[in-house]
Amino acid sequence: MTLLDIDNLHVKLEDEDREIIRGLTLAVNPGEVHAIMGPNGSGKSTLSYVLSGREGYQVTEGSVTYKGEDLLEMPPEERAAKGVFLAFQYPIEIPGVATMQFLKVALNSQRKARGEKELSTPDFMRLVKDRAAKLNVSQDMLKRPVNVGFSGGEKKRAEILQMAVLEPSLCILDETDSGLDIDALRVVAEGVNALRSPDRAMIVITHYQRLLDYIVPDFVHVLSKGRIVKSGDKSLALELEEKGYAEFTQDAA
Amino acid sequence: MNAAIARTAAEEALGFHLPNRRMEEWRWTDLRQLIDKPYPPRQKVEAKGGDVERLLASSPFAGVAATRMVFVNGEYDAKHSKQSNAFVESTAALDDPVNLMNVAFATDGARLRIEGNVDTPIEFVFISTDASPRTVATRNVIEIADDASATIIETHLGEGSYLANSVTEIRIGHNARLDRVKVELESHDAVHLAHAHVIVDRNAAFRDFTLTAGAKLNRQNGTFRFIGEFADAKVSGAYLLAGKQHADTRLVVGHEVANCASRELFKCVMDGHARGIFQGKVIVRPGAQKTDGKQSSHALLLSETAEFDAKPELEIYADDVACGHGATSGDLNHDHVFYLKSRGIPEAEAKALLIAAFVGEAFDTVHHDGIRAALEDFAARWLTERRRKG
Repeated sequence: MTLLDIDNLHVKLEDEDREIIRGLTLAVNPGEVHAIMGPNGSGKSTLSYVLSGREGYQVTEGSVTYKGEDLLEMPPEERAAKGVFLAFQYPIEIPGVATMQFLKVALNSQRKARGEKELSTPDFMRLVKDRAAKLNVSQDMLKRPVNVGFSGGEKKRAEILQMAVLEPSLCILDETDSGLDIDALRVVAEGVNALRSPDRAMIVITHYQRLLDYIVPDFVHVLSKGRIVKSGDKSLALELEEKGYAEFTQDAA
Repeated sequence: MNAAIARTAAEEALGFHLPNRRMEEWRWTDLRQLIDKPYPPRQKVEAKGGDVERLLASSPFAGVAATRMVFVNGEYDAKHSKQSNAFVESTAALDDPVNLMNVAFATDGARLRIEGNVDTPIEFVFISTDASPRTVATRNVIEIADDASATIIETHLGEGSYLANSVTEIRIGHNARLDRVKVELESHDAVHLAHAHVIVDRNAAFRDFTLTAGAKLNRQNGTFRFIGEFADAKVSGAYLLAGKQHADTRLVVGHEVANCASRELFKCVMDGHARGIFQGKVIVRPGAQKTDGKQSSHALLLSETAEFDAKPELEIYADDVACGHGATSGDLNHDHVFYLKSRGIPEAEAKALLIAAFVGEAFDTVHHDGIRAALEDFAARWLTERRRKG
């Protein structure tokens, strides 16, 4: 069964008339990695926010079906409990909430929503320590408030750590490469690759081809002016790197 | 005060004119208008059987190991106390109306002189039991000897309708340290008027935290004076207010000598029609160079009808100082709420987590782990209660 089925999606900002997503169609199956590439303003981040349920957007047409259910009907926390995870382009800093506490409440809220038993503190600690070590996330970072005082690279690693702990079915990575130097990019990409599995799908949103050298996609889609104008395999990303987006944005116009 | 103005029934019972909005310090808390019934002073009230035990058990610090001094309806209760009073003289002369009433009506209070390092916290518990409306006034005098250190908790609990007037005088000696934690959990039908007057001497460290969650009407004054150099004072507080509660804190920090540091941090959570006020004044006297004085107040308004007023003031008569103030007030940050929800945390729980984090910053100034944990538990219970009421 298709994991995510986006059909002729149209989205506008609630308080503006201009459409940002204009008839986007995309099907994602378990195990697949889809890269969505596009220039600034093509609707990449809007797509990630609409999928995760952020307020302020209005779907005017089309549908999003996730695991056979209408995703757009669900509040963000229900989407999360059912396995949708957005790694934010700009992870939010939350003063006063320790990262460990946040992770535990998040994981146990999801487990509770799914009718699973909550994880005990020792079991939870073991899980986080194991995942954190693989991503080079220090104990000190875990004790600090969520993302507060983290460097750009630390924030992105912390997002991937959350993903590794919450084990979602659909990971949406919004410009995960932005603000990362090459070493940080490698660590993050390794973390993401470790989570690739036959039951899990990923949508990797990026402006640059660079990230896709490390997270190799099964499909590449070019997003322009709110719709997918070309799809192909990983070689399309290389073509884009060479020629730029101009050709595609013209086609779409 | 104008003698031509007829006394209200409340003023008649007290024999005092109450402060009103035409007095700048009282502009947001017009006691003349807000105290709408008589609370006669010097009423002897016996507690009914079980009342004291029940109220003691309701204290957030019931589980914290402490040396207790219990005052019931304004009188020392030897049966429930472990520590008895010492002879320490009151020296503060304050002309503020709360203090004048206290001088006239105080029946008892804790008197302590601390020598050496006292590790176990000392808790003063003030209990007012349910009886006819009256004024209950207590006065505490605490002296921390040179080089001594202690942690003192002041817990105010009660049931029924009364006016609690509580004044605490503190003198902190050279190289001494005092951690003071006050929690105001008076009955929802009570009025709480207080003044803390603290004198901080050379090299001393003073940390003060006040939680305001009880009473329908609360006014707490604080006067802090630095009289010796290189001393440090951190004064913080949290409000957890709902319904029609009204709380007003007015602090005056006086830097009278050079090289002292003061920090004020208030985190105020207000729901329903609650009204919170924070007035903080820092005075730097001539010659008090290298003063480092900062104050901030932050309010979180959980409803459209809650209100917060802040009035920071700086009065500086020295030229080499670092002083500042900041005040914010607003709703929960929507991006924060969304981020938590996007990780699977339900909205109500996400908000509770953020509110707890907001007030928690003020709890961080409490160094004693057991006391801080008790405060965090109290805040968590308050939030659950608030959610339950919808």
